[in-house]
Amino acid sequence: MSAAPREARRAEALDSFRVRGMPHRRFEHWRYSDLRAVLDAGQVAQAGTAHWQIEGLPHGVETFDLAKDAAPEWVAKNLGYIGNRPTMEEASLAFADGGVALRVSRGARIVEPVKLQVSHTGNLRVLVVLEEGASMTLFELHTMDAGLVRNIGVELALAEGAELTHVRCAPTSPKSFLIEHIAVEAADQAHYIAHFANFGSRLSRTEVHILLNGEGAEAHLTGVTVLGAELHADVTSHVEHVAGKTLSTQLFKHVAGGKARAVYQGKITVREGANGSDSRQTAKALLMSGRAEADLKPELIIFADDVKCAHGAAVGDLDADSLFYLRSRGIPEREARKLLIHAFLEEAVAGIDDGALRDHVWRDVESALPRAMEAAK
Amino acid sequence: MLEIKDLHVTVGGKKILKGLTLSMKAGEVHAIMGPNGSGKSTLSYVLAGREGYEVTGGSVSYDGHNLLAMKPEERAAKGIFLAMQYPVEIPGVTTLTFLKTALNAQRRAREESELDAMNVLKLVRQKAGALQISEEMLKRALNVGFSGGEKKRLETVQLALFEPKLAILDETDSGLDIDALKLVAEGVNAMRSPKRGLLVITHYQRLLNYIEPDRVHVVADGRIVAEGGKELAQELEAKGYADLVKVPA
Repeated sequence: MSAAPREARRAEALDSFRVRGMPHRRFEHWRYSDLRAVLDAGQVAQAGTAHWQIEGLPHGVETFDLAKDAAPEWVAKNLGYIGNRPTMEEASLAFADGGVALRVSRGARIVEPVKLQVSHTGNLRVLVVLEEGASMTLFELHTMDAGLVRNIGVELALAEGAELTHVRCAPTSPKSFLIEHIAVEAADQAHYIAHFANFGSRLSRTEVHILLNGEGAEAHLTGVTVLGAELHADVTSHVEHVAGKTLSTQLFKHVAGGKARAVYQGKITVREGANGSDSRQTAKALLMSGRAEADLKPELIIFADDVKCAHGAAVGDLDADSLFYLRSRGIPEREARKLLIHAFLEEAVAGIDDGALRDHVWRDVESALPRAMEAAK
Repeated sequence: MLEIKDLHVTVGGKKILKGLTLSMKAGEVHAIMGPNGSGKSTLSYVLAGREGYEVTGGSVSYDGHNLLAMKPEERAAKGIFLAMQYPVEIPGVTTLTFLKTALNAQRRAREESELDAMNVLKLVRQKAGALQISEEMLKRALNVGFSGGEKKRLETVQLALFEPKLAILDETDSGLDIDALKLVAEGVNAMRSPKRGLLVITHYQRLLNYIEPDRVHVVADGRIVAEGGKELAQELEAKGYADLVKVPA
């Protein structure tokens, strides 16, 4: 396929971004993360292209460097076409002169995680195509240098019976802007299992839009956010049950200290005809200081019958009885608090099957905790 | 080892202890009895250092230290242990992790070397003895899904594991059937020693059939209203608290 259609799609994305511009607090889903107030469109356009690297690509995974012309058909037909094309995703398509596409062919099951490391300032595109019955784990690890602007568009196309596990770690970077949009399309019986670990930036946005297009498709999202100082992290999800008998579960746990702000918005749409769908959503936040803020916003829109939807949200402090119990057994207050925060986060981390990735998330939590446990200065 | 003098305590603006005085020596077992709401549990929480209990008068001296100036964790490191009436459930922390963290925190405070998980497990097995703490229980989240008996057994195992100098048992008999009560009482009796003081808080005399006290104090309306030997407990069982509670304030 020639490069022309790709360029045409990029031009369209540029126009679309120019018309809509930077999202701001009057955009319904950017209420808690006013991007335009801190970053202008020119900074995104001029940020160039971020770097990516995959160390030791497991056998059976095909890659294509998006900086190259002459994209193969599996890239050309998907890149820029998954999901509903929100403004920042259009910006990443328009401004990124590179990125990576990965494909696993029919029935291949890749056990070893694909470690995708993202560094430097700039826009970037990532595309993963899993063919029928294929499975893979994507470990997306961000290296955060000081004061960068990073805007990433990730597209995940899961064919019938495919299974993608996506573990994403974004370490702390107080002066950076980190925006990522993940668009997922899941066909019949395809599974998307994601874990988002966020440790905060000046403004950090992880937005995932999932279309459960095929019957029996499933999405399972878990995540932890641990923030202190004046850090911000926003996790926004929109799961659309398009087909019947689809299942989605979500469990997010946030810890915020200092003057940090942790945001979770979870929207679930059950479209007409998606009968027999089941969705569950839980978000909880622990506030470690009087000036930290947690915004938890569940939203349900249902157009189908015979649907099960459950959601719950809670914001609180550590349990005083538990804290006293541990201290009365000789555990110093700070250590007792840490133990209780670990206990709070545990169920949102335990679901990461790969032991090494789970340990990685716990290590990141460990290094973010001292800041999150501080009161506001 | 423990000298409580004229202790006044207020909880949420309400006076609970109104001049309680009590003295006990190492090696002794004292029982504190009294009706509901007399201040028994308040006394146990004040001794363990729980927040929200305001001491408005009096003093507590433990082994020559001003106990009231110490944090709960410092008291534990210095050998105070409170077996609670309602042990808390903590999802997300396994029982073994909890025991290891607590044991090592106390060892660290006493400048002793820390133990690894294997050695903690060995020690727990050895100390638990007849209390039957299964490995499955140790792997479960702390007290989560434990029966009333299992919770009290775990409190008693902690008593054996931490080897405190002063153990306060708050309503250890509540929620136990007779077999579980005997098991727990045996565990407590095994810890009787000339170097250790036991303060047994109970509403009923039943527990004292199994853990024999040297001295019985009766608390009513925030102070001690009667004292005596173990025969006082039996007297109370027969007559009830009514006579004592009516003692003019």
